[in-house]
Amino acid sequence: MNAVETKKLTYKYSVGTPFETTAVDNVSVSVELGEFVGVIGHTGSGKSTFIQHLNGLLKQTSGEVYINGRNIRSKDVDIKEIRFEAGLVFQYSEYQLFEETVYKDIAYGPKNMGLSKEEIDKRVLKAADEMGIGRELLDRSPFDLSGGQKRRVALAGVIAMEPKILILDEPAAGLDPSGRDKVLEKISEYHKKSGTTILLVSHSMEDIVKYADKVLVMNRGQLFCYENTDKVFSMAKELQMIGLDVPQITKLAQLLFENGIDIGQDIYTVERAKERIMKIIKGKTNA
Amino acid sequence: MLKDITIGQYFPGNSVIHRMDSRFKIVLDILYVVILFLANNFISLAVAGIFIFMAYGVSEIKPVMMFKSLKPLLPLILFTAALNLFFVKGTDEPLVSWWIINIYQEGISTAVFMIVRIICLIVGMSLLTYTTSPIVLTDAIERLLSPLKKIKLPVHELAMMMTIALRFIPTLIEETDKIMSAQKARGADLDTGGLMKRAKALVPILIPLFVSAFKRANELAMAMECRCYRGGEGRTKLRQLKAQPIDYIISLLMITVLGFVIVDNIVFV
Amino acid sequence: MNIIEVEKLCFEYPITDDEGNVIGGNRVLENIDLKIPKGQFLAVLGHNGCGKSTLAKHFNGILVGNSGKVFVNGTDTSDDDKIYDVRQTVGMVFQNPDNQLVATIVEEDVAFAPENLGIPPAEIRKRVDEALNAVDMYKYRLHSAHQLSGGQKQRVAIAGVIAMRPQCIVLDEPTAMLDPKGRKSVMKTIKRLNKEFGITVVLITHYMDEAAQAERVVVMDSGKIIMDDIPKKIFSQVDRLTEAGLDVPQVTQLAYELKKEGVDISLEVLTEEDVLKELKHLLDK
Repeated sequence: MNAVETKKLTYKYSVGTPFETTAVDNVSVSVELGEFVGVIGHTGSGKSTFIQHLNGLLKQTSGEVYINGRNIRSKDVDIKEIRFEAGLVFQYSEYQLFEETVYKDIAYGPKNMGLSKEEIDKRVLKAADEMGIGRELLDRSPFDLSGGQKRRVALAGVIAMEPKILILDEPAAGLDPSGRDKVLEKISEYHKKSGTTILLVSHSMEDIVKYADKVLVMNRGQLFCYENTDKVFSMAKELQMIGLDVPQITKLAQLLFENGIDIGQDIYTVERAKERIMKIIKGKTNA
Repeated sequence: MLKDITIGQYFPGNSVIHRMDSRFKIVLDILYVVILFLANNFISLAVAGIFIFMAYGVSEIKPVMMFKSLKPLLPLILFTAALNLFFVKGTDEPLVSWWIINIYQEGISTAVFMIVRIICLIVGMSLLTYTTSPIVLTDAIERLLSPLKKIKLPVHELAMMMTIALRFIPTLIEETDKIMSAQKARGADLDTGGLMKRAKALVPILIPLFVSAFKRANELAMAMECRCYRGGEGRTKLRQLKAQPIDYIISLLMITVLGFVIVDNIVFV
Repeated sequence: MNIIEVEKLCFEYPITDDEGNVIGGNRVLENIDLKIPKGQFLAVLGHNGCGKSTLAKHFNGILVGNSGKVFVNGTDTSDDDKIYDVRQTVGMVFQNPDNQLVATIVEEDVAFAPENLGIPPAEIRKRVDEALNAVDMYKYRLHSAHQLSGGQKQRVAIAGVIAMRPQCIVLDEPTAMLDPKGRKSVMKTIKRLNKEFGITVVLITHYMDEAAQAERVVVMDSGKIIMDDIPKKIFSQVDRLTEAGLDVPQVTQLAYELKKEGVDISLEVLTEEDVLKELKHLLDK
């Protein structure tokens, strides 16, 4: 069974007026249970609009969305249940914090689910641990924390609902390198431990490469491609043509190739580039 | 959607209406409201209506925008119409009589009259904001109110507050939308339940909104300081307000309409 | 000639108890010495909370140190009578473009600073057009600010500062909230202002790829300046940067990893071309 499936999903703004625009155009995708999928596309490509359909925040103009096999718009499905099943964390998620304490804020989602007090407590503590939020912070006001900490509290607030699918819109936007690494590491660890299906929207190819098994590329509202990470980054030229940036190391491989040094077309990590270059150097010294 | 609100929106252009002195525009708009309320019969109302539609014609604002400005206030218009339709009693037999509802000829005509009057009012007010940039508008208000400085009214500060408020309305609306979506994603229920429950459901939206508004205010104040803002003293303006012949011509037209309405409604009752 | 001179600057945020009494201080800047020559493009690099933004706020007298001095063109920034001269000389752009635009319409916002300075209307018009052209936003002059993209808004914010005709602009993480396209357009604008108009640029950032484009990089950690050199020399010190919570460009990382394997390669590489040159040299041997 697919965790997420869309069939010909289409979303139009301002239908029937001269301003009509198609933000999501006929997108059919299926994400398998437990996958870590990177979602890329430049601003206005429709990726943020697309993900807001997966938990029913936006209502499609046509097409269908299935979450764990259930059509989320069918009459016997409660849309609120879908929101707990497909947890969505928005960009700059720290602006959703509102409670007096970190604990209470993380508990907001589980409380809305109508869980028992014991269960809520269990989940809050677990989610805080997953996101590396120390117990001593739980009684503090979320507004007193650092930027990176706030971001992780907001994430914990959604993780505490224990969604089977976790959708993250630019979870590391605006953070500094160490803050970014910490957030993404925690997400990756959580993915491995819990087996949660993850959709990660990001502008940073370096981050996508590091964590995603598959990559979904959107362009002008349409699905540009949906393939394994290896395959997607071997299309570096095409990605650059639709205005996306590829990692610097990929650009290096291109430049080397143009100058007669072939280290392969599947270079997107420093690690792999190093191995290939070492091979070439060793080959030369042995010869 | 919250984004549909057009109040305070401005559409840059170079029409006669755009080029008018904004002080004249404000005063004439007030005069127009007076005309609408003085008009007691269809002829006067028609004259006032034709006047504003002609103004739209020369303003180069798309006619669609007229409807857009009406959309958020549609319930109010319909409510007023219904009130008049059902509660105005006529002298003749009712046209429709069903259960406790009686609709008279006079009810219908009053309802139509009220609808036209409110539409003219909203459309007239919108024309002002559509064709005048917020800063010029507040500038004009500042100038019109400047005599009140003598009684220690902080006119410049009020105008600056208005400028900033108008600038941040769209930003805060967008922000509210975003926060609502984020809380809905955490299972917030904003649309069901009794009054108390709904009011309580607003807390998770209002608190982040206030927190962010304060942060914005703080940063804006600092940015303004960095750009050498030090109150109204010694400030100059990019755009000078200067009355031109066209302002007097349109004023004359408006006064003619006012004169007609006064004669039509008060002298010949 | 230096436009900004910082001498032994220390700054701490006061810590207050519940009744508002000062009970201590939170040291943010520790004995900073820095000279910025006219026309330089300087990047200040450091992780969040290292004090780089606090330092930036001293450059135009928004903050004044507890001890030490900051001079702008020789004027002491703690001199209240000259504060507007200082602010006009050193313009400041902040992270969130939304929170620094005052007026709804682009050109009216750009006019805000000249209006505050009491410049005659005809001259304001000239400056506004000039500033908007400098950031390549002239054709948007009548647009509403909120309809622009993040990168465009930030360029308008830069124009709003340029309209004061400053000799120096300080940009405090101007690209942190932008998408890659916006980041590129802002960086292009900044470099253009420096090259074509000779404006001194101080770019506060935590993105190493942006710092790599500067003439000189100052690295801060825990309120101190820990490194101060040209980008190539800075980024070749991979260990020290990682320790300060910062990244290095992928190609520098690559050279570093290759060197660890015993390859004779220079660590002073920042661009793909640099690596190509090094590798060619190596393979031609």
